[in-house]
Amino acid sequence: MKKSILVSLLLATAVSAPALAHTLWVVPSHFVLSKTGSWVSADISAANMTFVADKGIPVDNVALYTPDGKKQAIEHKYQGKRKSQVDAELNAEGTYKLELGGPVRFGTMYKVGDERKRLMADKKSRAKELPANATDVITSQSRSRSVAFITVNKPSSEVLALKNEGLEFKSSVHPADIVAGEPVTFTFLVNGKAQAGIELEVSYEGERYRDEAGRVQHKTDATGQFTYTPVEAGVFLIEASYSAKADTELADQIREGLTLTLEAALP
Amino acid sequence: MHKYLVAALLLCCGTAMAQPELEVQVELPKIETGTYHRPYVAVWIENEQQQPVRLVEAWLEKPDWIKDLRRFWRKIGRSEPQLVDAKTGATKGPGSYKVRWDGKDEQGKAVAAGNYVLFVEAAREQGGRNLAKQAFTWDGSAVQIEIKASTELGKIKLTSVQGK
Repeated sequence: MKKSILVSLLLATAVSAPALAHTLWVVPSHFVLSKTGSWVSADISAANMTFVADKGIPVDNVALYTPDGKKQAIEHKYQGKRKSQVDAELNAEGTYKLELGGPVRFGTMYKVGDERKRLMADKKSRAKELPANATDVITSQSRSRSVAFITVNKPSSEVLALKNEGLEFKSSVHPADIVAGEPVTFTFLVNGKAQAGIELEVSYEGERYRDEAGRVQHKTDATGQFTYTPVEAGVFLIEASYSAKADTELADQIREGLTLTLEAALP
Repeated sequence: MHKYLVAALLLCCGTAMAQPELEVQVELPKIETGTYHRPYVAVWIENEQQQPVRLVEAWLEKPDWIKDLRRFWRKIGRSEPQLVDAKTGATKGPGSYKVRWDGKDEQGKAVAAGNYVLFVEAAREQGGRNLAKQAFTWDGSAVQIEIKASTELGKIKLTSVQGK
């Protein structure tokens, strides 16, 4: 019993902390569908390699948004050892969003001597849990989201609308219009404002079969933008991360992660 | 006066009827395979800005698979279901087929003289997908172009012909 609580705590931490080694991604079986009532299955995993499943994670924080922006209950969910899966029937026309998210979480890192330690506490509650000899105490407020878009027939943009909360993106073309060889400009925003210096890593499928993963690191420019031209058609991942010092009641720093799984279509 | 008007009308419409059209001859190759499904095929015209101008014809069957005509789906299929319905015919087996573009856009207006691009896309269940693309000038001058064959599409010939 104690063990399972520990495991779920650890997993909760994994879900909240993009800084940990594993990347959480959501990969739908289809990004584009030509019939309403089609099913989509999506794989979800915490993994080092892009789209090579490693650890199945809890699926409670997976949400599906219909083209009108409402949540649709996911009928089938499964957490496997290497990956988790959700299945959903898409009955409406337009663009759906599949999101692995979860609430904002707080974690406090500290040192005792040379040993680094961590506890799940915010700035207010950390005092009573920290040992007296703790040093280098930093509390982070973190949140990560992994999203993918699935478009049935005509693309729609309701699920792309900005909420002006946390790390978000907009793109010069709709996700269903990303095509190999054609540039697409992404703007990353924090709390609704375009943010310079967001760290980005772009990777694509097939890493297990290449000596070099071929990942590319970028940063958003002064206008919060980043332009990318997928060379070939296929599925790719953009991991965006933002961290900044903060001095709020609850945290010393804020960390936000946003992982986008996108498809570059054949020209 | 009336006489002249009638003559003018005849002249105008006579010319309109003699507008050139583009004949596209599409060959579907015979493919030796255990399970042969007829390909889904679409023929359409885009302008230089990659905007669709006119859907000429589509040979389709089940909606589920139309998305596999990737470009056709993105450019026309997903947003113009009624147009696609109107232009859809049954899928076809190996053979040679002729379709015609009347030189008009979807509103029935003759397009402006300029450069256009013909697209022919084919996708076959348990087979491959090919996209043939050919730019041509549409200004009244003759068009006579042949596109070489790919796996799913045989030779394609573009020929300007007099309209009916």
